[in-house]
Amino acid sequence: MVKSARKSGKWWAVVLILAFLATAFLAACGKSGGSGSDGSNAGQQITLTFWNGFTGPDRPAYEAMVDEFMKAHPNIKVSMDIQPWDTLLAKLPSSLVSGNGPDIAAFNSNLIPQYAKAGNILPLDELYSSKGIDTSVLPESLVKQMQYDGKFYGAPANFATLMMYYNKDLFAAAGLDPEKPPATWDEWTEAILKLTKKDGGENQYGFVIADHATIPNWPILIWGGGGDIVSEDRKSSLLADPKTIEAVRKWSDLVIHHGISPVNLTGAEADKLFQTGKAAMEITGPWMTPGFTEAGLHYDVAPIPVGPGGPVTLADSVALVAGKDTKHKEAVFEFMKFWNSKEAQIKLSVQSGFPPARTDLADDPELAKNAFAAKFATVAADARFYLGGLEKANQIDTDIFIPAIQAILNGQGSVEDVLQDADRKLNELLKGN
Amino acid sequence: MDYGRPGLPRGARPEGGSAVMTSLRTRKFTPNRQTKAAILFLFPSALVLVLFVFWPIVNSLWLSFHHWNLMEADRGFAGFANYQELMRDERFWNSVVNTVYYTLGTVPVCIALSLGLALICNVGLKGTAFFKSVYFLPVITSFAMISIIWGFLMDPDIGLLSYYMKRLGFHMPDMLRSTKWAMPAVIFVAIWKNIGFNMVILLAGLKAIPVSLYEAARLDGAGPFQRFAHITLASLRHTLLFVVIISVISSFQVFDQVYVMTRGGPLHSTETIVYYIYHQGLELLNMGYASSMAWLLFLVIFVITIVQLRIFRFDQTD
Repeated sequence: MVKSARKSGKWWAVVLILAFLATAFLAACGKSGGSGSDGSNAGQQITLTFWNGFTGPDRPAYEAMVDEFMKAHPNIKVSMDIQPWDTLLAKLPSSLVSGNGPDIAAFNSNLIPQYAKAGNILPLDELYSSKGIDTSVLPESLVKQMQYDGKFYGAPANFATLMMYYNKDLFAAAGLDPEKPPATWDEWTEAILKLTKKDGGENQYGFVIADHATIPNWPILIWGGGGDIVSEDRKSSLLADPKTIEAVRKWSDLVIHHGISPVNLTGAEADKLFQTGKAAMEITGPWMTPGFTEAGLHYDVAPIPVGPGGPVTLADSVALVAGKDTKHKEAVFEFMKFWNSKEAQIKLSVQSGFPPARTDLADDPELAKNAFAAKFATVAADARFYLGGLEKANQIDTDIFIPAIQAILNGQGSVEDVLQDADRKLNELLKGN
Repeated sequence: MDYGRPGLPRGARPEGGSAVMTSLRTRKFTPNRQTKAAILFLFPSALVLVLFVFWPIVNSLWLSFHHWNLMEADRGFAGFANYQELMRDERFWNSVVNTVYYTLGTVPVCIALSLGLALICNVGLKGTAFFKSVYFLPVITSFAMISIIWGFLMDPDIGLLSYYMKRLGFHMPDMLRSTKWAMPAVIFVAIWKNIGFNMVILLAGLKAIPVSLYEAARLDGAGPFQRFAHITLASLRHTLLFVVIISVISSFQVFDQVYVMTRGGPLHSTETIVYYIYHQGLELLNMGYASSMAWLLFLVIFVITIVQLRIFRFDQTD
């Protein structure tokens, strides 16, 4: 009797362990198999998975949009997975390749070529040809940015332009008119030098330029000088172009010899300096307005002063893409169409301060509710994407462009030498494409 | 002959010339009650380990001989191409130099300081328990948080530390933004964080030294330095070996504070091996290349550990 009791006790343990393992496996299998239900039946309830990285202060605006969509489409449920961009981008490629990816994903539009070339996202030409999204109302640069190899792969999730932020109090203190920000490079340089102070340890920076972990600043300065990073056809480097060299020389000289900005700044550090009144000017996107306003900063935004290369600024866009294994293509298209509708774009702009990803809303009275969104919309026509359409955009930026700028700012070589060297590396990389 | 037959009852030994062989076999293949229980208990965690630790490790060795962009499904055979490229990659060797710099900067200083703290704590002054927990506090705090806070404290424009240093008349360099000072700053924070961990282990080692040894030495006329050198250090040898090996391994794998404090910058001056592996593997998606780096790192750590074991002469007779 005793023996059999012991024996049954042991079997309980075995059963428990097996049960534990079985549930674990079933749970794992259930997850991947769950999205397999057929969604072709319009009356049926379907669920779209949507992975994105909208973790910033604008998160509520995006969540509200998704809720709005679900209200308008009672048979479609959108299940969002919001995580930091780094985490998302580390797991998205392998999820898509192994067939466990989301129906919809959002990521920076610069990544479209990489995903499209590998066939991990679906072409969206039907969505555009059926006028679900009308290209004639999209900013021109954006139309190109959403394509790879002549096909559309992305729908704009947001659109941002960069402007010059300036601190009105510091302007007034330096004897500059806070209502008349500099409009040309000459006025700009003069204002920057006036606003740069070094007394003892207390520095004030005229214009902080972030060089890494940031929304690109240096490319705007290079474009402003008439130079560029890659040629129009994206086949060769323009880093050693005389105009590029001249622009980099001008601004690196101001940083190194006049201390207008600390070197090796990240975007977050530049924002902090501006927010604490230690920097008079910086270049960044609309996402900073809520934070600066909340901090009680007396500031405004203005178009980036015009250099020899004409008016220009940087455009940035997060794109919505369709995962290659989605079974609900119609619903995905419906979602993208809704996102780009007039009503949705106005709402998103007013809530987030981003300009709308449409050109037909600039005069809309609703948009005026957010003065910043309207201002950022005014420079949309001059906005350009950095390294758009290049499969290796990320590598070019982190392994060639940023190190070159940093080497110059840290005095590890002359502007010409460093840029010639970077030019050679970039041409090599572009050839390998 | 029926030896080797499965299910042969224990104790039932077939007769004949091969009895010894058979008994060995049966003993091997029919585990006793305790072994069976052990296998059952180990099975779940062993399964998890095999699936999520051992298999990926083996798989990464296979990957290191292939070209694999994480974005694509196919993996072309590369032979030793990844390793050859590694030999030519200046940035990889820069990260090796940085990792060695970091290790030489952290390990000796950290162990010396924690040994000092352990000795002080071992004296038995009042309030020791409180200070012990204070020293240990950084160990249990997440590295990410510590790095953010130190980065903020050391900020030259709005940092608290640089503010007070300025008031005291010291002009602090632009620590994290200078190619020269970023690594010392990272090393400083790492030492600050790890001292508590080493101290607790060394303290346990100190407590295990019999008091009689010191008494005998004192009777023999040994001075405080001699007692420290010949009794304390000699008895702590195994504990020190453990601390050194653990510290060296973990500093060769340093990643999180570099990621949070400097992102490997400025200008790759704090880019360590694991950070570069992360950059290649998860940012540029070159998984095959990243795997080959990981295996080279494994070999380096393996060799270093063996050398350390030899130096401390840790063997069976010890």
